[in-house]
Amino acid sequence: MDVEDVFSSKLRMKVLKILILMGELNVTEIARRLSANYKTTDRHMRVLEGEGIVKHKMFGRIRLYRLNELSPKTRAVRNLIEVWEQANKQ
Amino acid sequence: MFINFFASSLGILSIVKEIALICPDRKHCRIANTFSFILYNTLIRPWLLKTEKSTNNKKKRISSSQVISLEVQHVTPYTSVFKDETKLDINYVPYRLPHRSRELSLLMEFFSFLSRTPDKMTQNILITGDVGTGKTALSQRFGANITREAKKRGISLRYIHVNCREYRGSLFLILHHIVSVFHPNFPRRGYSAEELLRFLMQILDEQEAHVVLALDEFGSLVEREGSEAVYKLTRLQETRLNKPQRISLTCILRSLEVIERLDASARSTLQSNIIHLERYSQKQLVDIINDRVILAFKPLTVPEDTVSLTAESAFSENGNARFGIELLWRAGKYADAEDMDTVTPECVRKAVSSIYAIMRKSDLTSLGLHEKLFMLGITRFFKKSERAYASLAEAEQAYAVVCEEYNVQPHTHTQLWKYLRIFSTLGVVETEVSSVGSRGRSTFISLPRIPAFELEKELSFLLRRELS
Repeated sequence: MDVEDVFSSKLRMKVLKILILMGELNVTEIARRLSANYKTTDRHMRVLEGEGIVKHKMFGRIRLYRLNELSPKTRAVRNLIEVWEQANKQ
Repeated sequence: MFINFFASSLGILSIVKEIALICPDRKHCRIANTFSFILYNTLIRPWLLKTEKSTNNKKKRISSSQVISLEVQHVTPYTSVFKDETKLDINYVPYRLPHRSRELSLLMEFFSFLSRTPDKMTQNILITGDVGTGKTALSQRFGANITREAKKRGISLRYIHVNCREYRGSLFLILHHIVSVFHPNFPRRGYSAEELLRFLMQILDEQEAHVVLALDEFGSLVEREGSEAVYKLTRLQETRLNKPQRISLTCILRSLEVIERLDASARSTLQSNIIHLERYSQKQLVDIINDRVILAFKPLTVPEDTVSLTAESAFSENGNARFGIELLWRAGKYADAEDMDTVTPECVRKAVSSIYAIMRKSDLTSLGLHEKLFMLGITRFFKKSERAYASLAEAEQAYAVVCEEYNVQPHTHTQLWKYLRIFSTLGVVETEVSSVGSRGRSTFISLPRIPAFELEKELSFLLRRELS
């Protein structure tokens, strides 16, 4: 996917922000915190995983998502969001 | 010239104030304060008042607000008998445990395999002893020491201390707490305790980590979950043949009576290693309190008599060292409140009359919102009625009033009955079931050990903090 496709969704950006803040969450919790639909959130998670920005770990039926720190895309996204937030605070 | 004089006087005043703030003891502090007081009253204040009058029409006059600000600067600095009062906190674990070094060495010896061949074996230990005999402190000190030892040898070892009572003795909640150490946002729903135990082993295998799990207040786990939970925890490795061993247990409990309730198979895995902590003697309590005095108080602020009296009071509370330490803290607070240089035996006496050692503060903190509200209702009932017993119905009425005050929906009768059982287990209230007439049975509640006034104060404080 191109960068504009990945960043075109408001919910996807919110998901990334919440994962930067919380570190690791399951889909239900992400959806709950963002007041979003479970299926929609799950779909976005799969897109982000497809791009290698997030990865998951399975515990039985539980899927815990976290940022894939090894990916350069993740580092770029984290940097962008952190700089943006910092600038907004100032 | 006036401006120069004013500036230099102000400079001297601030230097004196700085000296007063950093001076090593109260004697020097007082000298500095007296000097600044004389300097201020004899030189600066008359000069300021004179200047204000004489320069009333001048452009650069000194206003009365500056006089006020100077007066504010002349406040005596706050001094305390404490050097570091956190060293008297119930959660503080001292580096040195007086009169428990033999037990600590024994514990280190039992678990010495963890720093050599952690994959090959696990160990289960029971630590028993009365309230305030240092069971928790011993276990936590051991945890810190063994973790440091393992780290030196490059072994990933975690010491996880869980107070089972805080998790209502629920195996699920205890295991969730342990998993949360590794994955802080692990979901709370959607799986069983058995699955959680499997997840924990998966995590430990992935991270090649080992855990010493300290189950404090082990009795509440046995009470709620029975033999099954203990069996699962202790026989974990049997289903993992040829895999590295991961979890060792230290179970902390007051007496072995709890273990006798377990079935034979669960009991057999636990009773092999027991470390029993005897009650402290008065002399031992003096040593413990002296150690804490050095850590927490400024030099020469706690006389020998105060230490002896504190130790004596702690000894009369079944050799409860925790009680002694809490007493010492309160006595220090009384000394501070009355601006005294030393913690006198009178401060200890005042502290004794205000303290309630039967219930630990952490027990109150661990209660849920409605448990606290119900407890507050009961406390208020006893405070107002001056009766020794209250029926459950009366307690419920008092609880309903409290709920209205705090603007929350009250819980039902069955729920309150469950809360009452928790209070009874904690030892805050005592319940008695008696027959009234020919039909039905009534539960009567009494508050035998804790002054209602003290308990109400503490609960109101906790509720204010929780709801704000």
